[in-house]
Amino acid sequence: MLQHSWLHRRDLLRRAGSGAGLLGLTTLLQSEGLLRPAGAADASNPLAPKDGHFDGRVKRVIWLFINGGPSHVDTWDYKPELEKSDGKELEGFDRFTGFFANSVGPLMKSPFKFQQHGECGKWVSEIFPNLSQHVDKMAFIHSGHTESNNHSPALFMMNTGVPRMGNPCVGSWVTYGLGSESRNLPAFVVMSDPKGRGLPKGYSLNWGAGFLPSVYQGTWLKPQGDPIDNLKPPADLNKSRQRAQLDLLASLNRQHLQQHAAERDLAARVESFELAYRMQVAAPEALDVTREPDHIQQQYGIGDEKCDHFAKQCLIARRMVERGVRFVQIYSGGMENQRSWDGHNDIAGNHRGFAGETDKPIAGLLADLDQRGLLNDTLVVWGGEFGRLPVAQKAAKPGRDHNPHAFTYWMAGGGIKGGTSYGATDEVGHKAVDDRVSVNDLHATILHLLGVNHEQLTYRHNGRDYRLTDLAGNVIEKILA
Amino acid sequence: MPATMTTAAAADTSASEKPPSGADHSERVKAGTALFRKSVRQILVDRCLSCHGGDSLEGEFNLATREALLKGGEKGPAIIPGKAGESRLYRMITHAEKPPMPYDEEKMADDEIAAIAKWIDLEAPYDKPLVEGGVELKDWTERTIENDAKDFWAFRPLNSAQAPEFDHDDWSQTDIDRFVLRALQNKAIKPNDVADRRVLIRRTYFGVIGMPPEPADLQRLMSDQSPDWYEHMIDELLDSRHFGERWARHWLDVARFAESHGFEQDYNRDFAYHYRDFVIKAFNMDMPYDQFVKWQLAGDEIAPDDPLALMATGFLGAGVFPTQLTENEFEPARYDELDDMVSTMGTAMLGLTIGCARCHDHKYDPIPAADYYRIVSTFGQTIRSNIEVELNSAETKQAIAKWETDHKPIADQLREFEERELGSRFDAWVASDALDELTSSQNPEWLVLHVANAKSAGGATLSVQPDESILATGTNPDFDSYTFTADTYLRDIRSLRLEALAHESMVKGGPGRASNGNMGLGTITVTAEPLSGESKPIAVKLTNPRATFEQNNGNLSIAASIDSSKNTGWAVDPQFGKDHAAAFDFAEPVEFAGGTRLIVTLSFNVNNKHNIGRARLSISNKANSPALDAESQPQAVAELLDLIASGEIPKNGPRRVQLMSWYRTRDPEWQKLSAAVAEHNQLKPKPNLATVMVSSEGVKPIKHNADGRGFPHFYKETFFLKRGDSTQKLRTANPGFLQVLTSADDIDQRWNVAPPDGWHTSYRRRALANWMTDADGGAGHLLARVIVNRLWQHHMGRGIVSTPNDFGKQGELPSHPELLDWLAQQLIDANWRLKPIHRLILTSSAYQQSSAYDDRRSTIDPENRWLWRREPRRLEAEVIRDAMLAVSNQLDRTQFGPGTLDPSQKRRSIYFMVKRSQLIPMMQVFDSPEPLASVGNRPSTTIASQALMFMNSPQVREYAGGLAARIRSAGQSDIVDQAYLSGISRKPTHVERASAEAFLKTQSTSYQSDGRSVDDSDRLALTDLCQTVFSLNEFVFVD
Repeated sequence: MLQHSWLHRRDLLRRAGSGAGLLGLTTLLQSEGLLRPAGAADASNPLAPKDGHFDGRVKRVIWLFINGGPSHVDTWDYKPELEKSDGKELEGFDRFTGFFANSVGPLMKSPFKFQQHGECGKWVSEIFPNLSQHVDKMAFIHSGHTESNNHSPALFMMNTGVPRMGNPCVGSWVTYGLGSESRNLPAFVVMSDPKGRGLPKGYSLNWGAGFLPSVYQGTWLKPQGDPIDNLKPPADLNKSRQRAQLDLLASLNRQHLQQHAAERDLAARVESFELAYRMQVAAPEALDVTREPDHIQQQYGIGDEKCDHFAKQCLIARRMVERGVRFVQIYSGGMENQRSWDGHNDIAGNHRGFAGETDKPIAGLLADLDQRGLLNDTLVVWGGEFGRLPVAQKAAKPGRDHNPHAFTYWMAGGGIKGGTSYGATDEVGHKAVDDRVSVNDLHATILHLLGVNHEQLTYRHNGRDYRLTDLAGNVIEKILA
Repeated sequence: MPATMTTAAAADTSASEKPPSGADHSERVKAGTALFRKSVRQILVDRCLSCHGGDSLEGEFNLATREALLKGGEKGPAIIPGKAGESRLYRMITHAEKPPMPYDEEKMADDEIAAIAKWIDLEAPYDKPLVEGGVELKDWTERTIENDAKDFWAFRPLNSAQAPEFDHDDWSQTDIDRFVLRALQNKAIKPNDVADRRVLIRRTYFGVIGMPPEPADLQRLMSDQSPDWYEHMIDELLDSRHFGERWARHWLDVARFAESHGFEQDYNRDFAYHYRDFVIKAFNMDMPYDQFVKWQLAGDEIAPDDPLALMATGFLGAGVFPTQLTENEFEPARYDELDDMVSTMGTAMLGLTIGCARCHDHKYDPIPAADYYRIVSTFGQTIRSNIEVELNSAETKQAIAKWETDHKPIADQLREFEERELGSRFDAWVASDALDELTSSQNPEWLVLHVANAKSAGGATLSVQPDESILATGTNPDFDSYTFTADTYLRDIRSLRLEALAHESMVKGGPGRASNGNMGLGTITVTAEPLSGESKPIAVKLTNPRATFEQNNGNLSIAASIDSSKNTGWAVDPQFGKDHAAAFDFAEPVEFAGGTRLIVTLSFNVNNKHNIGRARLSISNKANSPALDAESQPQAVAELLDLIASGEIPKNGPRRVQLMSWYRTRDPEWQKLSAAVAEHNQLKPKPNLATVMVSSEGVKPIKHNADGRGFPHFYKETFFLKRGDSTQKLRTANPGFLQVLTSADDIDQRWNVAPPDGWHTSYRRRALANWMTDADGGAGHLLARVIVNRLWQHHMGRGIVSTPNDFGKQGELPSHPELLDWLAQQLIDANWRLKPIHRLILTSSAYQQSSAYDDRRSTIDPENRWLWRREPRRLEAEVIRDAMLAVSNQLDRTQFGPGTLDPSQKRRSIYFMVKRSQLIPMMQVFDSPEPLASVGNRPSTTIASQALMFMNSPQVREYAGGLAARIRSAGQSDIVDQAYLSGISRKPTHVERASAEAFLKTQSTSYQSDGRSVDDSDRLALTDLCQTVFSLNEFVFVD
């Protein structure tokens, strides 16, 4: 039942009509988990948990956004033919495919060695010595393609399904559709590069709610200072004084409520202060990775200078989903060029560096989720906004330019058939050719795993019912367990 | 699904390879034809034909004839005769393949699907085409709408129904109420009575100006005995300068206003705030709404001299635009931008989702894609530009005219003196011995040039000083270049000296204008030409560079000023505050019989702002490369002496003019008169210039990252695009109007205006603006409906049409259609002034009702659609913050100008800068929308982070401290009462007062136990209480 009672409360009440109908409403609210002992106050809580269209295989998502466009042919999409064709021209290549039309070089083999791993025998680049140990948990999609060769439209495409600004991102759609299981934490959390390399192109609009109510936007954990606004009480207000203040507020508000018994919004607001009071404690606790035992911290790579920052973010992600946060997105890398996986120059150095920052933390995350049983109902997604070209981008140390025609994603977790590889690029990895997967397909699959039918999750805006997947999208059934 | 695609493709092939045949075949066709006649034909006509062969050809698919059916659409054949299961048509109607058909409609009934399946299996025969005589489909770019399409309530002319009358009616105060009352009577429910005065005051203050009444205002209004106190209050509030700030915010939501580009870099649009100021000012001055709309579409064409009209065009350019584009994205990005303009115009002004007709005809409303592209083409050449605008053009013009009148007699006096007296005074002076004083130097080696013309390429002010030096003042551009022109009669010119002189106007006395007083002469060039004009100019080659001081002997030496690099040259750090000189010899001596004009160019490309502040030029005809500090003499003196020596002082001609222009500066009478002119010149009114972001044509585009790649910013032609795809152009689209909102038949005379000769825009938007506001023949009636609905919505809590941005078929129907039309007509009759409509609504009983709840009436009308009561409403983000600021006495009421992102600023929230990637958290948490598309209706959510803001935000705490300080400084003992009165406009009840006083005591004790003084503890305790008052439901919800 994907009703959003806080939006349509009045419609519901209208339909409910008389006494018998009100009973129906109560049932409805209960079925949505909206009814709390304090009363039906939550009816106005837009983040109250809701059931999907069907039983989903996962309850939450951790999306490792490999920002800047990771090169599929240097990571997961092993291309022996590219090695053989090293130095040859790629016939028929349109030099406007990437961003720099005047720096197109010949085909270039991967600077990395590939080896087979796992029971599935997946060929993996040497830059992932730890992640390669988990290939049997992953389903690889090698035939991704997108609509733009430019970071920000491609980022918007990957995050919102449209290569323009203005639409809600996946995390927003998911929290709009399913609410949050955590009452004390934000429903949708985003972490960005903490090493001063900037935010992804398009900044916060990548986790914006677009035309959905702003309550569904991602909460960005600021890498510097307090990660979340307004969690710390003012200096003067110690715990008991703030408690006294809130007690006074509650009593005054309740007196007011007696004269406004019919106004549910007012009751909900009284509740929200208590919730906020709990959040003050819960959120910093969830963000505090030092509460984890040493061996867990080490498993993620905390303390290892190279990957400490990403390791902490991965561990925070686990602590978040464990506490019911619906959607977590972590960006690896900052803005463009050497500040992210955007290896226009020196693809070898660039990818070795960013792989080094993320390999151990993500492997640690997968192992940790697995050992806690959380991987059964959590979806982990790995991928960026596009792939990179098999031809070199000319430079002293050659790099690779953007490739909208092919990229690799992998997913792991509940409902995923581990060890599978779906779709394929051509011999050199230039274009996706077999079982091509659009961004809408990826989105449809993520929603499906969450128990949401991507065609039925809609929002009316300026006269049109919008969907995350627009008019397209097919669930990639073959990667599903 | 890839698997499906493969199967379908294979099936297509097999079908074409194996045509059905045989007797069995003809039997089946017979049965199929019967089935077709019996049911299939009607199903296809009812469910498929209108999009596929009747009125349009969606997907290029036509099923009007069997031949066309077999040919199929852009995806290939629609059916494989004999094989329903593999036929695309069947798969789509069973929703096995996408898109599901019939599109956006209910699925066909099972028996209908079964009939079609059977029919396909029976070879899908037709007895005759679905449309008699076959279909001849018009090219969609020429599509006209059916006449009955205009017969939808929103498109019809305004209904002229008047308010009903009642025999017994002690509730209604205005016609509005009589419309409302009738609707209520139809439901047999009664409305509430007028609310308490206190409630009304608070409601109206928030509704009209977005701030609570000051306690003093409250007291005054509560005790006002006059019967029309309410009307007076409304007038006062509508006249308040804060009214525009409150109502502009509503419009800015609709206009998706922001001050940054969005996308990858989200660069600021530093001059976009003028649009926000325009909206505030327009509402405050009660600009007629039709003008308000016209100016936003075409202010640059309608009133180009009015700065507000130019600012208004910021509406068109307020949308997002990518700042990083590759070649393939240029044109699609431009079409997206045009779509943003048209879509926003449609939803904001007409409540129509015109943008939905970009890829195909509008699915629900009679807006063909053809109309869409015609409107798009209206904006085809409109781009964003930052232009200099004279803010007070009228005032400035007036002031200048007055100044000129005053100036004339002063200037005339000087002119007359020069004409009548100066010549004889000069002759007398020559005859006297005054000249001897000037010839003290016996053998001057340098002749100081009198520069007749000095120009700065970068806009600096260059003025010739009495000592013949040229002083630079005013603008100091990054890399200026000066051109000096001087005429001389010296012969055999062999050297040039450039002095860079100290002056008090420069940092450390100069001689340069850089921030440290330095200069950097990148290049110096000299051109010589004959005054007679008889031979060509010569580029003089400079040699033997030398200078009094050089910063180094490499790239900052005088030699570097005549090398091939523009970026190296003479600098003098650290010798500041001193006079410097440099000299060059001419490779070949220069002379022209009849005089020489020297043009000396100095370019300063060495470093930012390293322009020489005071320069002086001298020449020499000595063969010995004279020393830099050798004796000098003014050119004029030398030349005069030559003339005297030759015994011939010219009585007229250019040499006389030159002599006089030198002499007059020594004449005391001329000095006096000239000083008077100069003094008055200082008083000349200066234009008040500001840079404003406008949308216009033929203007300089705003710099773009892809300029280097050749991004054109706009295209001369706009095309009809197939499926909205700019790579599929059909033909040129020319401007037009929405057919459904055009009833006039004299379009050309009525709306189109030809631009004046030489004008830089096409006047296309002006024509659109005329159509938009024409209530008789154009869209004006809908325009009026939409805006009065917005006013109603914001005053009453919901619109008469509850989907304010969609008046089309997907929108809600009006709850009170006659009232809506009546209000629209009132607006038009009031010459489109909005304040009378505000007044009408505010003075109605419907508006003034109490919020009292009633179970029985709520059962009948739970939504309060029929307005039996007032529903309490949560204040919007901006108003919550503004109210706290106002109550705490910290509000900075400064209006207009650039905004800021600083959360601690104290101006009203509308003055926050709206940067798309850095929206103000305090606004967002209370549902202020992302400025990406027009928003007509904000949601009102209740979430914990709002509570966190009241509890913990440093700003809220600061506001609470402000209120506490305000109460304490008033020195009254009833501090709890004061906190209540300031915050929620009433006194506390006994119970509330008791709780609050107990709380103050507890908190103070607690602070004291921390070692704080009693006074400090009381202050903090009161701060805690004030913060609690801000957090009250009653503070943010208004009855």
